[in-house]
Amino acid sequence: MDIIVCMKWVPDTSEADLVIDKEGKDIKKDDLDHDMNDWDRFAIEEAVQLKEKLGGKVTVVGVAPEDAEEMLRECLARGADEAFLLWDDAFEGSDGFAVARILVSFIKARPWDLVLTGTLADDDCGGQMGGMLGAMLGVPSATLVSAISVEDGKITFNRELEGGLYEHMEMDLPAVLSVATGLNEPRFVSIRAVRKVASVEIPTLGLGELGLDESLVGVQGSRVQIEQLTMPPEGEGAEMIGGKPEEAAAKLAEILKEKGGIG
Amino acid sequence: MKNVFVLAEHRKQHLRDSTWEAVTAGRTLAKDLGAELTCILLAADTASMAEQLAKECHRVLAVEDPLFETVSSEAFTKALVPLLADKEPYMMVMGNSNAIMDLAPGLSVALDAALATDCFAFEVRDGKPLATRQVYSYKVNALVSFKDAQRIVVTLRGGAFPFVPSGSAAGTVEKVASPISGEKLRKRFLSYREAEKGDVDISTADIIVSLGRGIGDEPDMEMFESLAKAMGGVLACSRPIVDKNLLPKYHQVGTSGVEVKPKVYLALGISGAFQHVGGIKGSPLIMAVNKDARAPIFRVAQYGIVADLNEIVPALEAKIRELKK
Ligand SMILES: Cc1cc2nc3c(=O)[nH]c(=O)nc-3n(C[C@H](O)[C@H](O)[C@H](O)COP(=O)(O)OP(=O)(O)OC[C@H]3O[C@@H](n4cnc5c(N)ncnc54)[C@H](O)[C@@H]3O)c2cc1C
Ligand SMILES: Nc1ncnc2c1ncn2[C@@H]1O[C@H](COP(=O)(O)O)[C@@H](O)[C@H]1O
Repeated sequence: MDIIVCMKWVPDTSEADLVIDKEGKDIKKDDLDHDMNDWDRFAIEEAVQLKEKLGGKVTVVGVAPEDAEEMLRECLARGADEAFLLWDDAFEGSDGFAVARILVSFIKARPWDLVLTGTLADDDCGGQMGGMLGAMLGVPSATLVSAISVEDGKITFNRELEGGLYEHMEMDLPAVLSVATGLNEPRFVSIRAVRKVASVEIPTLGLGELGLDESLVGVQGSRVQIEQLTMPPEGEGAEMIGGKPEEAAAKLAEILKEKGGIG
Repeated sequence: MKNVFVLAEHRKQHLRDSTWEAVTAGRTLAKDLGAELTCILLAADTASMAEQLAKECHRVLAVEDPLFETVSSEAFTKALVPLLADKEPYMMVMGNSNAIMDLAPGLSVALDAALATDCFAFEVRDGKPLATRQVYSYKVNALVSFKDAQRIVVTLRGGAFPFVPSGSAAGTVEKVASPISGEKLRKRFLSYREAEKGDVDISTADIIVSLGRGIGDEPDMEMFESLAKAMGGVLACSRPIVDKNLLPKYHQVGTSGVEVKPKVYLALGISGAFQHVGGIKGSPLIMAVNKDARAPIFRVAQYGIVADLNEIVPALEAKIRELKK
């Protein structure tokens, strides 16, 4: 089974101090670490596990500038067979819809049975790529997927609903699945595995190679535009307890005692 | 905009809360855009749900088909494309539940519409809608526009549009034949499955010590267990802690985990994503320790400490044991 995994390179924003840039349409990213999107770590692992069971090839692909090569190389170390970076200056400013078009131009040009993505990316919090790819490719798709198994050209899985409820489903291949976190245990990558792929070539494909017109990508090809970013007010509501750790902890303990937090 | 459509979400033949929140948002949008509001109900049996919707919405479009037994993204999309042909310009509003997350993105492509997910506010400028949603780990608000889109799909942040029933619309229900009757789906619902239940039931606990990714990759779990014990509470956690197999799934608080309603909720190294906070009900006293002063958890907490939790936890436990003497 040939699997294509879409990998997103995202700034690590969960712990960082974020600053909005001068134009007010993005944050300053230069000082932020970047990494593979958390959900995608589970997607590449699932692809490699399926390959180990069923044979075939795993291809990883990301729409991102050059720096993201590091992420794709890590995927090779995790067991992917080949990696492609899709980038062109014209891609700058693409929304999810335009990124989906770019990915589709790549996917359509090769044989595949299954496309895997994460369900949600930490930067745009969009949760939209899998469904968009499915619709553009004309195949069924599902998000928040776990417990995947493949038999006779059919794939079965659980789809997460709320409150611990799942839909058990069956789907014809080819298809697009967006995985849920926790569906597998991403493997540990050894330094040896990383060294082994250090010199593998990762081609970059741009507008020309993908056969895309400039008008279909970037700001021009996007349907949604960011007008203005703002920071929500800090700690609105919360009373902040200051002081040295022991002092703050002691104060917290007293508040807990007063409010019935010590049973 | 000519039309605002609200797509009803149901499960096991009942309308879900997300439907009513979408009605709330749809009403305001229709008013502000000068558009007509219509609720669309696709279900295996529409009678009673359509009647409920008609009490709140002047126009209800009801389509019956066994293929709509569950909110099937494939069946819904195939049906909505012909149903909405020639109805533009329109805006389509729906919840952002896990079922809709499966539907909205593909639907937007099939409808040739612009999509914004998980919106929590709208405004109208020069007759055009704008939406506010969150980006970058839910830490930054983004106001987005849709260029000149004639078809727009938006999904709504749960809880952002509280519903107040009016019960007085006396709307009309228009029944339309299913455009996909008898079609074979490529994606088929087989059955519902439930997550396993464990030996601890955090849903009934009064005191909860909840752990997030901030506890690190190799946490000292005994330290947290010991704190929970000193407080007379139970340990719970966010999703990444379950993903890393540090605690079983039935300890997970959140929309896809367990709903809790404690008196006190101590959040350690939890950022406060809405899917997590959405599982905390009954307005408990929330206290949070996080090293990031901008963490969204501080927006719902009553008390907060900006610090490394590893420094706070031992000191906190020591003080609690002292106070208990
Ligand atoms: C459909 C769907 C359903 C979901 N359901 C759930 C659900 O049921 N429950 C759930 O929890 N999540 C759920 N999520 C995931 C959710 O979006 C968040 O990704 C998740 O809640 C984040 O967990 P976290 O706060 O532990 O981690 P992060 O967001 O990574 O936050 C870690 C926090 O720890 C802080 N920190 C780091 N180190 C320290 C330290 N030493 N001391 C103090 N603080 C520190 C950081 O500043 C940061 O704020 C769901 C997502 C989706 C898309
Ligand atoms: N630029 C991109 N390159 C590759 N994959 C992407 C990209 N953007 C999104 N994806 C995939 O789509 C998933 C959902 O992302 P999003 O729709 O942005 O929340 C991610 O987890 C990735 O698997």
